[in-house]
Amino acid sequence: MAEYWGVKVEDIFNSMQERFRPEGAKDLDTVFGYDIKDEGKWKLTVKDNKIKIEKTDDLSGSVATMQADGETFVGVNTGNVDATNAFMGGKVKVEGDMAAFGKTGKLFRKFVIAQKEMTTKDYLADMFATIVPRFKVSEAAGLDASFAFDLGGPDGGKWTVFIKDNVCTVTATIEGKPTVTLEFNDAKDYVDFILGKIDSQSLMAGGKAGAKGDLNMMASKWPVLFEKYKDPLAGNVPQQELIVLKKTIGLNEKFSTGPIMGKFLKGLKEKKIYANKCPQCGRMQLPPREVCADCRVRVNEIVEVGPKGEVRYMDIVYYAMPDPLTGAVRDTPYGGINVLMDGCKGNETLPHFIRKDQIEKIQMGWNEKKGTRVRPVWEENRIGDIWDIKYFEIDE
Amino acid sequence: MAHKKKNRNVGIIGIGQTKHSSHREDVNQPELIHEAISLALKDANLTMNDIDCVVHGNMELFEMVHQPDLWHVLGTGAYGKDCIRITTGGTVGATIACASDNLVASGMYDIVMAIGFEKLQEGHTTGGITNMADPLWFRKIQAGALTGSSAYDVEKEFGLERADRASLTYRIIMDKHAGLNPNAHRSFGLDFGQIDDLIRTSPRLVGNLKLIEMCSQSDGACCVIFACEKKAKDLAQTPVWIRDHITVHKEESFTIFGYDRKYPVLKTHKFAAEQLFKRNDIKNPLDYFDVFEMYDPASWWAIDWLRDFFALKGDEHLKLIEDKEIMIGGKMPINPSGGVIGSNPIGATALLRVAEAALQVRGNAGPHQIPTPVKHALASGFGGTMWTVMTMLEKELNW
Repeated sequence: MAEYWGVKVEDIFNSMQERFRPEGAKDLDTVFGYDIKDEGKWKLTVKDNKIKIEKTDDLSGSVATMQADGETFVGVNTGNVDATNAFMGGKVKVEGDMAAFGKTGKLFRKFVIAQKEMTTKDYLADMFATIVPRFKVSEAAGLDASFAFDLGGPDGGKWTVFIKDNVCTVTATIEGKPTVTLEFNDAKDYVDFILGKIDSQSLMAGGKAGAKGDLNMMASKWPVLFEKYKDPLAGNVPQQELIVLKKTIGLNEKFSTGPIMGKFLKGLKEKKIYANKCPQCGRMQLPPREVCADCRVRVNEIVEVGPKGEVRYMDIVYYAMPDPLTGAVRDTPYGGINVLMDGCKGNETLPHFIRKDQIEKIQMGWNEKKGTRVRPVWEENRIGDIWDIKYFEIDE
Repeated sequence: MAHKKKNRNVGIIGIGQTKHSSHREDVNQPELIHEAISLALKDANLTMNDIDCVVHGNMELFEMVHQPDLWHVLGTGAYGKDCIRITTGGTVGATIACASDNLVASGMYDIVMAIGFEKLQEGHTTGGITNMADPLWFRKIQAGALTGSSAYDVEKEFGLERADRASLTYRIIMDKHAGLNPNAHRSFGLDFGQIDDLIRTSPRLVGNLKLIEMCSQSDGACCVIFACEKKAKDLAQTPVWIRDHITVHKEESFTIFGYDRKYPVLKTHKFAAEQLFKRNDIKNPLDYFDVFEMYDPASWWAIDWLRDFFALKGDEHLKLIEDKEIMIGGKMPINPSGGVIGSNPIGATALLRVAEAALQVRGNAGPHQIPTPVKHALASGFGGTMWTVMTMLEKELNW
């Protein structure tokens, strides 16, 4: 089995029992499948605040099955691959009940990659191997210099970094006459210095390190020529905590309706739906508006329409929409409909919602095809608000 | 005939933008803005002392900071300068470009700096957008910026399979473009072989609008510096000239879906494009323009709008996509930057369209520079309640 970031796919599954959080499994009684390409299939059964994970060929009975390749799966579980991106990009797929699968997120503690040791030799090899990729060509214009490193001790060695004509090269010797040479008695001190564990002044002062040649080149130019070395063992854990302030704003608002909208809203109280009719072009506006924006004239003639009509358009909303007035998330899916009221024509439609259990039955109409006939369902206590109509339902 | 009333010509002489990202908790708003401004000043080889006026734009409801321009002075450098704050909608970035153009053209200021910014992770985008609707009734019903109506329109006309494939083809082209743009927020490395898979597996948001087809929510800022003809010629090697811009909106078309052919709804993009090209005497925009930076909030809108912008007939717009003529190197490259689907810091988004189009005209956009010379570029902005802004950019002052 292949390893990714030093972790095998089965390591993730084998550690599930140990990483299991019973508090995340409350009231869950379900089965999830994992289908990891070229690696195998696993079945996760959650019941009575316990889990069972087994490798199997039979994923039948799973409410949702996750599909991914080994690298992506390990990457997502170890934090090396962004889960949202992997999902959006189709590298992770979920067949079946997506919402149910989302609950697996709370079932387990994070998988932590066991820390591996890196020796001074490993670090030096990595530091000089990453010199060229870390080189910032934009900072090297016109520069012709060589930086030599003479690092002593049992793990030490010699290196030279050349920069000329915007190209950076590294040799594992010291050649020619370097612009500046950095000398460390013990290579381990150099590693600690680069990792930020020890500062240059105490090294110099302690006689553990020194430099020959153009010291200024090393002190001021080197740091801008190269991206900072990243400790492979440090992972992506930020060294500083970023303080983010969380705020919730709650506001009371009240809006005057004006006479035209006022008539519409008052009509709803009386179970009537009012439009107004443009004296010039004859179109109906629903809800009524003070003027016809096309003709730029006042529209004062109020006309009762509906209350029944025909569905011309429906949006089925699956996305968990927050209600802007309460912040509460609307139940999904719901159907937002545009109803062409009896007495209206063309685009004179009213947007509202359809009864939740009737979404599947709604047909959208156009010139040649009648849409589903619907009627409003009124609230018992009406206050002059668009929600005085609870929703529309099929008029059978 | 807006451009013919122009008192004097205006050129873009400086462009800066941040890397767009969903993870900019390392900086606050003024600091984020400052990054874009520093880059634009460096690009123009100017300092804040050279700037006569600052035009600031974002969507205040998203972060819920009133008068953000005051707090942002720490980052904008507008202290002691004339400063104008503008908020429209998704178009705000395009609107501040129009305003800057007008301010310079009028003769009031010689050099104006436009700053568009958003930190969408700091507020609630969908909640903010929902608040744009008429509070007396529609706010309670609408679903943010999401609708499946464009998908429905294209499906109804061309069949589900062709429509779905066109939308995903567009989406994957944008992903490939974003992959070339080092500032783009996201590129997933999608490939055309994944089309069927993504159609099947990407979760539905509204109707047939899928998660993969929708734009991102980004943190980012963009800064563009505008100068009068004389200063532009003095200061910049390759100023990019603003030829014309147009703004059209019709709020009520936002709520009406009657699907009655006898009563066509005014489409603001189509109307704006017709007016703009007519008054500039451009007979065939598809031939005239070399690149188009389009405000594409989702791939469904994008594929539908191509027909409106370029006055295309029948399925010509779908063919452009299917034949990949909208890719870098194609007949009409759309969004070499990766577009709004790639990065969407909303207050900066429409200004980024102008900025990226101008970079293409200058010829130094970077890895996503189109290989053929760009003389004429088009940029569009789009915002809630059917709001369109279009901007025409030119390499030469010869129209």
